[in-house]
Amino acid sequence: MASTVELASSFIEGAPPGELADVVADVQTLTSEGEDIIPSLLPAFKRYNETQLATVKLPGSSQEVIVSAFNELEDNRYFDPESQTSFAVDHTTQTASAAQSYPLESAHADLIKSLLKSFGVHAREHYPNCSYGVYPIEDDSAVAIVLVANRYSPNNFWNGRFRAIYQLPISSSSTLTGNIHVDVHYYEDGNVALNTTKPVNISIPSVSAESIVSRIAAAERDYQEALNRAFVQTSEGVFKGLRRQLPITRQKVEWEKVGGYRLGQDISGGKGR
Amino acid sequence: MADAQFDSALDLLRRLNPRDTKTNLQAITSIVPELTEDLLSSVDQPLEIRRCPQTSRDYLLCDYNRDGDSYRSPWSNEFDPPLEDGTVPSERVRKLEVAANESFDVYRELYYEGGVGSVYFWDLDDGFAGVILLKKGVTPGSQSSGEWDSIHVFEATDRARMSHYKLTSTVILHLANKTEALGDMDLSGNMTRQVEVDLPVESDASHVANVGRLVEDMELKMRNLLQEVYFGKAKDVVGELRSLGPLSDANRDRETQREMIMSMQK
Repeated sequence: MASTVELASSFIEGAPPGELADVVADVQTLTSEGEDIIPSLLPAFKRYNETQLATVKLPGSSQEVIVSAFNELEDNRYFDPESQTSFAVDHTTQTASAAQSYPLESAHADLIKSLLKSFGVHAREHYPNCSYGVYPIEDDSAVAIVLVANRYSPNNFWNGRFRAIYQLPISSSSTLTGNIHVDVHYYEDGNVALNTTKPVNISIPSVSAESIVSRIAAAERDYQEALNRAFVQTSEGVFKGLRRQLPITRQKVEWEKVGGYRLGQDISGGKGR
Repeated sequence: MADAQFDSALDLLRRLNPRDTKTNLQAITSIVPELTEDLLSSVDQPLEIRRCPQTSRDYLLCDYNRDGDSYRSPWSNEFDPPLEDGTVPSERVRKLEVAANESFDVYRELYYEGGVGSVYFWDLDDGFAGVILLKKGVTPGSQSSGEWDSIHVFEATDRARMSHYKLTSTVILHLANKTEALGDMDLSGNMTRQVEVDLPVESDASHVANVGRLVEDMELKMRNLLQEVYFGKAKDVVGELRSLGPLSDANRDRETQREMIMSMQK
């Protein structure tokens, strides 16, 4: 049987957007261990932060930067190429400290810098509240482009997160692969969640920042349009097929009479055919 | 402490993915086994279907028709696996239960055009109580599916020529969709609403009609609410996260509009 720490870890990693602190408080009460359980959950906090693309404020700055598996250095230190800074992250509190200068060292530094610029323009045009990063990965043979956009409205019982994670091997022509995830949680008198994963696979004919970002922008637009269509189609299709709004007779049930009827007989209120 | 643990268990289940309620409930009760009984009776889960051996008709399982490891069929009033002394309703309440099952079977066919339904009643000191269960699943394409579970629990308390009804209704709705352009889309959850009302009662038959109308009105309300939250609210939040059109255009439009309003006020 799974241990308390394993089960509590799965709760931490399952926390919906913007509700990690609430889940932590529940876990502390539920296990009766209070804050004592926190250190044993550190690996879960780290996995949550890196998977969910947690953002932290750089010390002395209002800028939010991403924590991910792509920009980890070692010992819970991460780097941000745009500000050329490295920083330590406390995964349980989602805070950054001990910032240091960290010049970008990559054979593709120019591409990364122009990607940051072009992708930044794209991000600001479509995501009202987002953070993004471009990182050299896999021994400097590829780049990762990541974006996270959060909107939290706990007073209205909803929170949402949009994540886009792309990887591109650097060669003359290349294929960008990745995933877009949308997670929405609505919890007024209930618990409703939208969770999506859209795999992305785009061939990039020429590895330039402009062509990469324009193809990403098109893929993200196409996806949002597909998602919007899916809401309408599901509402008109599967949802309608589950329960009608009114019976086919367009009349509510005549409860005083209905007990006497048997299935297969006329149940339309005696009008007959 | 136990109360606080119970509250945090419910809060946790309200936050974690509703698709995984069963697994999370198991995890919680393995951490705090003392909560098992209370949680099982207050957390609604998708209903399971079983076939009644006596009548070969399907019925739904829940905590209210369970006695030990056996479940009572509403069609035969027998437990499966058989129980010598399983708890059954009094003769009067069983009569009502049979009538309600007949009526809600018509209701199910009219609104769900399929699916499975079951009604269970039990005696109270000053009246009776019951649960109306309805379940339907659809898989129109291999790549999309939907499942609806309605759980309506009510208490009817006797008053002079009246009855006081308290109804708590939960609908669990799971929807999944998968296409090339869309990838995987999962829209799952549950919503709960309550209503209390006094209604006139002439005879026992009035109870079935009263409860029928209460459930029918509640399901209509909840269907509209689910439609609003699943397809309206969720889409709106996606729009809050990402704007389809460029934000600079939207900002420029707002600025233009603001200037127009300002100039009209002059």
